[in-house]
Amino acid sequence: MKEISAIIRRDKLPETKTMLDELGYPSLTIQSVDGRGKQKGAMCAEMDSEMPDSYCTAVKLTPTPSVYALEHTLPKVALYVPKRMLTIVVPDDVVSKIVKSIIKVNQTSQHGDGKIFVLPIEDAVRVRTGEHDGEAIA
Amino acid sequence: MKMIRAFIRPEKEQEVVLALEGAGFPSLTKMPVFGRGKQKGLQVGPVHYDELPKTLIMTVVDNDDADKVVKIIQDKAKTGFIGDGKIFVSPVDAAYTVRTGEAVL
Repeated sequence: MKEISAIIRRDKLPETKTMLDELGYPSLTIQSVDGRGKQKGAMCAEMDSEMPDSYCTAVKLTPTPSVYALEHTLPKVALYVPKRMLTIVVPDDVVSKIVKSIIKVNQTSQHGDGKIFVLPIEDAVRVRTGEHDGEAIA
Repeated sequence: MKMIRAFIRPEKEQEVVLALEGAGFPSLTKMPVFGRGKQKGLQVGPVHYDELPKTLIMTVVDNDDADKVVKIIQDKAKTGFIGDGKIFVSPVDAAYTVRTGEAVL
């Protein structure tokens, strides 16, 4: 069993759910999360150049005294981008198929499409019946 | 790769994030969570708080960096009082970037 955690765009969620339905793995958990990636939350790289520096200073996070020593590496204000995180637990053999499908549905070729993580899961239990492992997620 | 999930005090979040960023780990996902620990919540006089607000910071890093990141979070989130939180490290089999479809972090 593997857990697939996909952090995706909010507006791609319905499509992703439909796709998972069609593949026959409709069970999922959705969470609203905020995050940022390698681009450090810069959602609007083009807009950034037009934005006056004073704007960024105004909204920049105020460091607390204990972090003054830290070098603040961001050239522009760091934003957290709201995302949806889906968590699904599936058998080993379909992991690559599902990952490929999620990538296909969510690709916009713009930054911020998200990340998919695959984690090992040791055991699963269905609370209602007490079933374990494969039966619990079947 | 390792997934690091740190349950920290909400007021320490910014400090931790800035420290991680300074060390070259800008990518993270955060979410507000509620929980309790070994002390079964918090007792203030007659009032018992069972579910305390925490921030969950989730980040995935290379194996070699895991210890470093844990150390940074620990240093910054520590107040020395109960309720500082927990850090969990779990293995990650693969990470994909959706935009490119590549299996790299």
